[in-house]
Amino acid sequence: MKFTITREKLQEGLVAVAASVPTKTTLPVLSNILVEAVPDGIRLSGTDLDIAVSTLVPAEVDAEGAVTLPAKKLVEIVRELPSAAVRLTAASEQRVSLECGRSRFKLLGIPRDEFPSFPPVRFENAWTAASGDLQKLIGHVAFAASTEESRPILNGVLWELRKDQMRMVATNGHRLARMDVPASGGRQAADFIVPPKALEQIRRLFGAADEIQIAKSENHLGFRSGQTYVYTRLIEGPYPNYEQVIPRDNDRVAVVDKQALAATLRRVGVVASDQTHRVRLAFSGGTLKFTVSTPDLGEANDEMAASYDGEPLEIGFNANYLLEILKFMPTDDVRITMKAPERAATLEPSGWDDPASYLCLVMPLRLVD
Amino acid sequence: MPAPASRILQVDADAFYVQVARLTDPPGAGKAELLLVGGSPTGRGVVTSASYPARRFGVRSGMPMAQALRLCPDAMVVGVPRGACSERSRAIVRVLERFTPVVEPASIDEMYLDLSGTETLYRQEPLDATARRIRAAVWQDTEIAVSIGGGTNRLVAKLAAGRAKPHQTPAADGVVVVPPGEEAAFLATFDLADIPGVGPRFQDRLAALGLRTVADALPHDRDALRRWLGATAGDWLYHRIRGVGATAVQHRAHAKSLSRDETFARDLDDDDALRRELLRLSDRAAADLRRHRYRVRTITVRIRDADFRDRRASRTLARPVSADRAIADVALALLARLRKARRVPARLLSVGLSQLVTTDDVEQTVLFPDAVADHLESDRDRRLSKALDDLRERFGRDAVDRGG
Repeated sequence: MKFTITREKLQEGLVAVAASVPTKTTLPVLSNILVEAVPDGIRLSGTDLDIAVSTLVPAEVDAEGAVTLPAKKLVEIVRELPSAAVRLTAASEQRVSLECGRSRFKLLGIPRDEFPSFPPVRFENAWTAASGDLQKLIGHVAFAASTEESRPILNGVLWELRKDQMRMVATNGHRLARMDVPASGGRQAADFIVPPKALEQIRRLFGAADEIQIAKSENHLGFRSGQTYVYTRLIEGPYPNYEQVIPRDNDRVAVVDKQALAATLRRVGVVASDQTHRVRLAFSGGTLKFTVSTPDLGEANDEMAASYDGEPLEIGFNANYLLEILKFMPTDDVRITMKAPERAATLEPSGWDDPASYLCLVMPLRLVD
Repeated sequence: MPAPASRILQVDADAFYVQVARLTDPPGAGKAELLLVGGSPTGRGVVTSASYPARRFGVRSGMPMAQALRLCPDAMVVGVPRGACSERSRAIVRVLERFTPVVEPASIDEMYLDLSGTETLYRQEPLDATARRIRAAVWQDTEIAVSIGGGTNRLVAKLAAGRAKPHQTPAADGVVVVPPGEEAAFLATFDLADIPGVGPRFQDRLAALGLRTVADALPHDRDALRRWLGATAGDWLYHRIRGVGATAVQHRAHAKSLSRDETFARDLDDDDALRRELLRLSDRAAADLRRHRYRVRTITVRIRDADFRDRRASRTLARPVSADRAIADVALALLARLRKARRVPARLLSVGLSQLVTTDDVEQTVLFPDAVADHLESDRDRRLSKALDDLRERFGRDAVDRGG
């Protein structure tokens, strides 16, 4: 294998795939990037067995071939190289040399045979989605997925494809995010549960204007745009019936300034319990009062203006859940709906001029008597 | 300036249950030299504590009462005066708190005190002089004799307290303080089995390596101990035998764990009968738990087989629970595991709850209560337990029980 490539193109390709390389692994070859010299350039691939990323960058190939090289070291070397042509030659995986200007490196690789093959996803029957739509869905929903291992299904994001819209839903069992975007394309209805890590790669790697091709094998999805591919394992369902827990009769509605709400929550949250982050909110007339009281620590009180004309209501929340949701709210004002102190509350953008619809839900903290 | 050495004391009441039993019943137990405290109405329980003269007959705590009586037939047997014991124990803690705010009750008859930083307060009084004053004050206020050990950490303090007991070490006068720097020399006078945490199985492993006393183990370097015992146990032992023990004394008003156990009138071998006993214990422990406004994360079931082999199994939950059903479900699964491993008649069962949390009485409500895998208790379970607690509060402990 022998090829020449600009330092910039090599770095571009490495950055694209390096994020899929696991930092810790029991299988040494997974710490490596597969470098394949093919007629029209260099294909770089990385995987952690759950997701895989592969991209093609232009290069002048003198001799085709393939080898795997340690991802971390390769990225570090290329980052420090001068801006010049990089020449890589490999007689075998034991003798890989990389030259750039007057710099010379010798690297030890692992044979390409040990590198796992990609899932057998066929793109012949692929359907398409606008990258911009996917980015929007992922950017507003993926944060809500669970990171605990106790319920693997909640570690995924539910992606519902329908004839005229796409929806994503994620929850950790305490809070939930859901977004719909209208989408044409006449695709078949399908539901997938996708690891957020894969969605993050899709959001990162594809441009907003790209058209993404998506195809499915038995238990994998493949995403492709241009010469870049993302593959991901699917989490097996069923996803819990989230529709059932989204309240429809929340009759107490407040509209509050997002920045002011976030600032106040952060402020009083300082003395909230490290475990529960409990903040008590009291809606009454035009004010929203905040109370925090933590044994062995202290108390805080604060208030802000809110447009609210329902019956007075006191409700406890994990301040961090609210703050996190507020970060993703696209409008200056947020609409909060509630029913009772132990019932789910919802947060939505207020006055959002967008064809998408967005809803977050958060379960309150209950006082145990 | 180097930080001054820590000043830790351990206060240990001598044959505490015996002392309290005598104070509670001066004409009876108070006069009996050979006194055994413990047992059950049927005479099948174990000795909770034996008076020192009775111990000379070979009676030990934890021994079946019947066996103790064979060794020491003239002994008088009285039940454990539970209420009085807790009361005296609290009284001792109150006395100790006059000397330092950092008092950690380790059990009903053992307390740790941290006097670090009190040098100026006590006008540079040596630690053993302070310990003597504490011992006198406890006696004065509670009529309980205690032994006090002192040193730069808990391990040394505990071992010193053992050496301070007048009934165990000739010439001991109730206080032994190990000066800073002499920990290793002090430790070298013990057997490995004396070190808290070195249980029978660990002793066997050590004995197989030819290690019985601390002095046997001292010449071996850390790497050797790690190689022989594994990294964790090797490091642990390496430090302990040099008198290093880092755990801080914590002021703790709360219990660390609670448990309920039962020694059966006759050994039980029937799975259903054992399950019924376990449910009873688990419900009681759960009620205790709720009365103290705790929830629990770690549930332990201990079984003592007829041949006195103790076995235990425990499970730590992701989320704390407090309802009868949740705790019983875990306990039953643990019992099944223990019985599967060894199915012989059992003489004792115990349900222990540890990793207790208060979580300032706040609870996160959940979206999919029935679906959460580790969500062992539902709202319904909690309401049911609360209803039972209320009933027992009004009509007494035995007002409601599980159906057969």
